[in-house]
Amino acid sequence: MPDFEFFLQQLSNGLTRGSIYALIALGYTMVYGVMKLINFAHGELFALGAYLGYTLLVVFGLGGSLGPPLAIGLSIIMVVGLVSLAGYLLERVAYRPLRSSDRLAAVVSALGASIFLQNAIMLQWGAQYRAFGADLLPNVVFHIGGFNLPLVRVLVFVAAVAVMAALHVFVHRTRLGLAIRAAAIDQGAAKLMGVDVQKVIILVFIIGPALGGLAGLLVGVYYGQINFNMGQLYGLKAFTAAIVGGIGNITGAMVGGLLLGLLEALGEGYISVIWKDAITFLVLILILVFRPTGLLKERVAEKL
Amino acid sequence: MSFASASRRKSFGSALTVAAVFVFACLPFLLGHLAGSSAPYWLDVLNTVGLYAILALSLNIILGHAGLFHMGHAAFFAVGAYVSAILNLTFDWPIMATIPAAALAAGLLAGLVAWPVVHLSGDYLLIVTIGIVEIVRIALTNDIFGLTGGPNGLVGISRPEIMGFRLTRPQHFFYLIWGLVAVSVLLFDWLERSRFGRALKYIREDVVAAESMGVNTNKYKILAFVIGAAWAGLAGTVYASRMRTISPESFNFTESVFLFIIVILGGRGNQKGVLLGSFLVMGLPEIFRGFENKRLLVFGAALVIMMIFRPGGLLPARSPGYKLPEPYRSRYKRLPDLSSGGVFNGAGSRANGPNASASEGFASGQAAAPSSGSGESSDSSKVISVDVGQDLVK
Amino acid sequence: MRSLFCSCLLLAAVLLAVPSVRADEPVKIGVMAPVTGDWASEGQDMVKVVEILAAEVNASGGINGVPVEIEVADDGGTPKTAALAAQKLVTSGVIAVVGTYGSSVTEASQDIYDEAGVIQVATGSTKISLTGKGLPRFFRTCPRDDEQAKVLAANVQKLGFSKVALVHDNTSYAKGLAEETREIFKNSGITEVYYDAINPADRDFTVSLTRIKAADPDVIVFTGYYPQVSLILRQKRDLDFDVPIIGGDATNNTALIENAGKEAASGYMFVSPPALADMNTESAKNLMATFQSKHNAQPSSVWAVLAGDAFLVLVEAMKAAGPDPEKMTEWLKTSLTDYQGLSGPIAFDEHGDRIGEVYRLYEVSADGVFVLQ
Repeated sequence: MPDFEFFLQQLSNGLTRGSIYALIALGYTMVYGVMKLINFAHGELFALGAYLGYTLLVVFGLGGSLGPPLAIGLSIIMVVGLVSLAGYLLERVAYRPLRSSDRLAAVVSALGASIFLQNAIMLQWGAQYRAFGADLLPNVVFHIGGFNLPLVRVLVFVAAVAVMAALHVFVHRTRLGLAIRAAAIDQGAAKLMGVDVQKVIILVFIIGPALGGLAGLLVGVYYGQINFNMGQLYGLKAFTAAIVGGIGNITGAMVGGLLLGLLEALGEGYISVIWKDAITFLVLILILVFRPTGLLKERVAEKL
Repeated sequence: MSFASASRRKSFGSALTVAAVFVFACLPFLLGHLAGSSAPYWLDVLNTVGLYAILALSLNIILGHAGLFHMGHAAFFAVGAYVSAILNLTFDWPIMATIPAAALAAGLLAGLVAWPVVHLSGDYLLIVTIGIVEIVRIALTNDIFGLTGGPNGLVGISRPEIMGFRLTRPQHFFYLIWGLVAVSVLLFDWLERSRFGRALKYIREDVVAAESMGVNTNKYKILAFVIGAAWAGLAGTVYASRMRTISPESFNFTESVFLFIIVILGGRGNQKGVLLGSFLVMGLPEIFRGFENKRLLVFGAALVIMMIFRPGGLLPARSPGYKLPEPYRSRYKRLPDLSSGGVFNGAGSRANGPNASASEGFASGQAAAPSSGSGESSDSSKVISVDVGQDLVK
Repeated sequence: MRSLFCSCLLLAAVLLAVPSVRADEPVKIGVMAPVTGDWASEGQDMVKVVEILAAEVNASGGINGVPVEIEVADDGGTPKTAALAAQKLVTSGVIAVVGTYGSSVTEASQDIYDEAGVIQVATGSTKISLTGKGLPRFFRTCPRDDEQAKVLAANVQKLGFSKVALVHDNTSYAKGLAEETREIFKNSGITEVYYDAINPADRDFTVSLTRIKAADPDVIVFTGYYPQVSLILRQKRDLDFDVPIIGGDATNNTALIENAGKEAASGYMFVSPPALADMNTESAKNLMATFQSKHNAQPSSVWAVLAGDAFLVLVEAMKAAGPDPEKMTEWLKTSLTDYQGLSGPIAFDEHGDRIGEVYRLYEVSADGVFVLQ
């Protein structure tokens, strides 16, 4: 295969992976921005999205009865709704009682919630890998020279980018978005300016998990195979992406996610498959060594 | 509180400690009668608890005392275990003789990786340490230098031998491991009181203030990493000789997370808390075996509930600063407690109201105003820090 | 302080004086399996199968009139948890243990059973060195990796492939099998055009596939597990990369068809002990029926059935030699010759390895069925 086509192939692999990491990373970064809390259970909400999608599309058979576009559209709406609800409940049960406590207490609570959710998924849906059914979407592949581009891959990428664009507009162009940004900068000051911080917190705990759940559904549809501990690895990678992009920064999460996906694909394609994750982490650590608050976060003086 | 009652309380406390240690030392015999034939199992559970207690105590230096968010302790544990195993298997060193090498290697690695990254703040440091544990695990799996045995790991590590006595049974390891726990407690207690320990506390409470007092914060942070890691390396030797087989999956990210949970859940900066945390985090999943495949579900829920009811950890740390000499105690006790006054509470997560009251009960014979120890410092403790900060100025 | 000390001593004395009570109990057999963790689906099926068989043994009067009791311990699929699980089983008074699945997990428990004088019959641990250690009471109902490598290589040769891409997933089992197979290829004139691992935690193997495509092999030999091969099959189709794949026994799981889809899976070949549907023994059919009615599903892989076999040979040994590990070991190695297990005839050699050809070649048909070749 000519070098350029090989490169294009890796590029497309990287962008698809990266767009999914970016979607999940957004959930981490939004919650962090407002709450200064790393929501370690976010990966599990992502997995929950995948399993709810499985239940709707495969167990209830929406995929067969409604036809792919309608079924997937409907399940996206329901998955996003249900995972948001789960996110809200998580905030209510595991984080709100700890809001005025030490930050690390909330981290451990989040880790506990993550262990709980992962095992709840295992008990509910079983420990086996679950299949989405291979023929949910028509198997169309575009060929450009030796370079292959399956339609599903394009759709996943487009969906992820569209959602991120919408979120960007929401955060930067609406009043609610303004409230989110204000609360992220300084909760106390935002309160004084009349921002209902409580509402903002609930809002980010709805939007973040919704994006994670959507990513879970996309992974299910795209790869066709899900398992109960899938949230762990995706969560860790997306969290890394969020940090490297500059945690709390929404554009940073998108950039971080795409960068991570590309690094992985290119590392795998040109250097080594088995060293890929080590290389990726090494590059990310180096980025942080030279830009200690991530790629896009402004360098602020340390708070005194 | 009067002087007399304080000292009586103190002697009662130390008597209690002596009694607890004594009963604990008798456990292998007691368990034999209480638990009958399942005694070796419970001893082995206690051994696991003890091993994680050693690891958590060493992590406590970094996470609890220096306040550095470190979620990659399994990396140093792994290096210790592998160095011991390789020296034992390839070069025929007796396993106990590998301890210095294991500790040195782990400490060296910690120094090397900590040096460029300790300046990172909070969560950024967290991800770097997670990255390190992943890199170490991948390197071990990929058989780095052709020494680590790849995914198979290393098999057939010798049992430890102390003065000709070979340790094989759980009760033998019980005394080795819990002996080391006792050594760790004493060592880290001494460190905590030393110049080094106080420096770490200033760093945790307020890096900028510590820096401006002339404390070389980076030096102390790296030292904390090196000391904590070296001790984790030692725990690695013990682990390798107890399991006799090690493989990369024993040192993954999840292990680091569990150690992190132990320290925070128990009460970071407080050795008793860390010990209690080890019992809960390593012991509960064993106790929950009756729930079969629901045991981790129950454990996860238990973690959330415990954190909600004890947000500062089960046994929150003693107040920062140091113990004032007796005559000063009562005087400082009367200082207004600014930290729980509400006025100074920052927004949301920065506040430490409920915490302060939670830790007050524990800190009642002590001077400084309680604080959650989350990088937040109460004004009165700052005043005290100024007095003692002087001896750290270079 | 002194009084406290004294009361402690008193307490200790009282506790030491309490006699330990032991009642007559049914004979206990342990099952060590990954009930939680990454391999939970295998482990849970292992337990279910053994429980069904134990209930049947007890319904027909137990072993020489003594009922058998199953003691399950979760090894979590990790060596550390396995060591505790083994210790728990040993101290709960089992005389023999069925399990476990992963080789490195079994390895961490072997010494503990050996020192306690308990028989261990592993069910999915195919790593070669497990039996070469001189542990007298260790057996396994699964075959060894070198056996599998031989069959795998022979089939590659028989099917006329000459340029091979060998892919493993960097786990203990898959890497071992790949290396064994690689050695045989070297001596049999088959060219290896690609040798590398994939990362089993990933979902996207297109990068590896494009690299393999560039190496232009006749066949891909994959020694890893079924979830990854399912994804590889699908992604290979998406890349329009038309090359046959032949796999090892860890891909023998009916979930493969479901996960990859019939279209992508058709033509996939693997070597394995006989699949469930091909176990013609009466006992296997009965087990399938009971399993179906009790759990409304089929055990999804052959490994759960091998756990059943492990349990059954232990019961046989106990019937013949009494509940004594030494005598049972002796009997298993010398007198167990013509026993018909769930997966076919079972016998052990002096190392505890299963004797006999167990591997078969399977191919996935166009309508998604594992067909014995």
